[in-house]
Amino acid sequence: MKDFMLIFIGKDYSQMGLSPEEMQNRMGKWWGWHAKMEEMGILKGGHALHAEMRHISGPERVVTDRTSTELKEIVGGYYVIAAKDLEEASKVAQDYPDYDLGGTVEIREIMYFEQ
Amino acid sequence: MIDHLFRHQYGKMVSILTRIFGLDHLETIEDAVQDTFVSAMVKWRQQIPENPEAWLTKAAKNRAIDLLRKIQSNNARLSKLDSGPSAMAIDRLFLDNEIEDSQLRMIFTACHPSLDPKDQIAFALKTIAGFSTKEIASALLLKNETVKKRLSRARRVIKEQNLQFSLPDKVHIIDRLNRVHRVLYLIFNEGFHSNHPEMLIRKDLCGEAMRLNKLVLSKEFLRTGSGYALFGLMCFQASRLESKVSENLEIIDLKNQDRSKWYFPLIQLGNEAMHRSLDFKDHSIYHIEAAIAVVHLTAKSYEATDWPKILTLYQKLFDIQPSPLTRLNIAFIQLQLKNYGEALQILEEVSPQELEQRAYLYYGLKAEYLNTTGQINNAIDCLDQALGMVTNNIEKNYLLRKKNSLIALNN
Repeated sequence: MKDFMLIFIGKDYSQMGLSPEEMQNRMGKWWGWHAKMEEMGILKGGHALHAEMRHISGPERVVTDRTSTELKEIVGGYYVIAAKDLEEASKVAQDYPDYDLGGTVEIREIMYFEQ
Repeated sequence: MIDHLFRHQYGKMVSILTRIFGLDHLETIEDAVQDTFVSAMVKWRQQIPENPEAWLTKAAKNRAIDLLRKIQSNNARLSKLDSGPSAMAIDRLFLDNEIEDSQLRMIFTACHPSLDPKDQIAFALKTIAGFSTKEIASALLLKNETVKKRLSRARRVIKEQNLQFSLPDKVHIIDRLNRVHRVLYLIFNEGFHSNHPEMLIRKDLCGEAMRLNKLVLSKEFLRTGSGYALFGLMCFQASRLESKVSENLEIIDLKNQDRSKWYFPLIQLGNEAMHRSLDFKDHSIYHIEAAIAVVHLTAKSYEATDWPKILTLYQKLFDIQPSPLTRLNIAFIQLQLKNYGEALQILEEVSPQELEQRAYLYYGLKAEYLNTTGQINNAIDCLDQALGMVTNNIEKNYLLRKKNSLIALNN
């Protein structure tokens, strides 16, 4: 088994004009997915991320405070799961609830240092 | 989690915050409440709080205090006056009883006579029932832009006329209550009659109208015979909502509905409401419409329907509220009673133009008359006319099926 990070990339929810009802339904889908992964015993961790962000870049360490609302795409959160290979991890990612909102899942294998 | 928790909680929060900060800040308030749900949706992704409702209420309270600070600091800069409510007063407004009171204020605001009736429905669905613009457009089969216009017109009128977020005084309460009933009746009918392709949306509209009506009836000073009769009517109609549409979305008319599918607990609830309505002296069209619904519900089969009784009730309805649609209904009943002459007379007196976008109903009924009196070719022509006017696909299919069965008969 290897570990994979599923990284969720898309627009900020607050920019989508979702109705309360849609939000409740969407949350139900996230719970469903979360519960399914826990039942399979493959979920190793993960979090949603706050919308406020700070970018530091370049040798001058230029600091820019951004709000998610200015950006077309942000990383909204991630899960770490155990899977045999990329194929199997992709199958798990099929249940990500936000494809219909234009969301993307980036799947990356976690690199562990071997002695 | 409870169905529609977010939607209903949205309405509650907007009402409470409007009570605290006034209708002037409505847009800011709606945005703030929307943000609360966005953050709940993300935060709850991993784990549902033990009591989601309490979590949301607490979040709304925090929002209120944030807004209060913001508005107070603006006020302080402008006039050095601290006119806002205290944090303690805010706490009090989050008690159950006060939440209901705030929601009622919002219902009465939505039904204020200064607002256009069309705007009232959109505004009520948005601020009380927590529908988004898109959901209102979809539910009422309108364009998104139309709904946006209606909402902003309602907000503008509220601002320009400086409407207060309060319940009407004793002198005006009956008039305003009538308007509230009217709006709830219209929202219900949008769900019941619209033939919206999605059953879920139709149930939502009917459910919201019933929930709000119940809220009104929960306060003793707002109880009237009309209110109870309206609730009874809603229960009776809702009991057969499921049996009106088949699995492949075809309309099933009353004649062909499976009567065993009518939902009995709702009929019982309706009966109870009608009994309560007897404790009051006022009488309304809702009493008559409920009585008509009861005649249908108590008939063992379509053939066993007590049409003479329904005819009397429709004539009463027409006396109180004359409308071409009621006349068409009377013509339909005359047809069931085989009073062809009377039916024809009404068809000759009513002009389809009076029915505006429902003119196809006129041609549908005329076709029915022609068919039963053996004029099948003319009946088919009439159905063609109806088909040329109807916009809703489900109704179009219904008429097409009728037409095809007539053509088959004719061959």
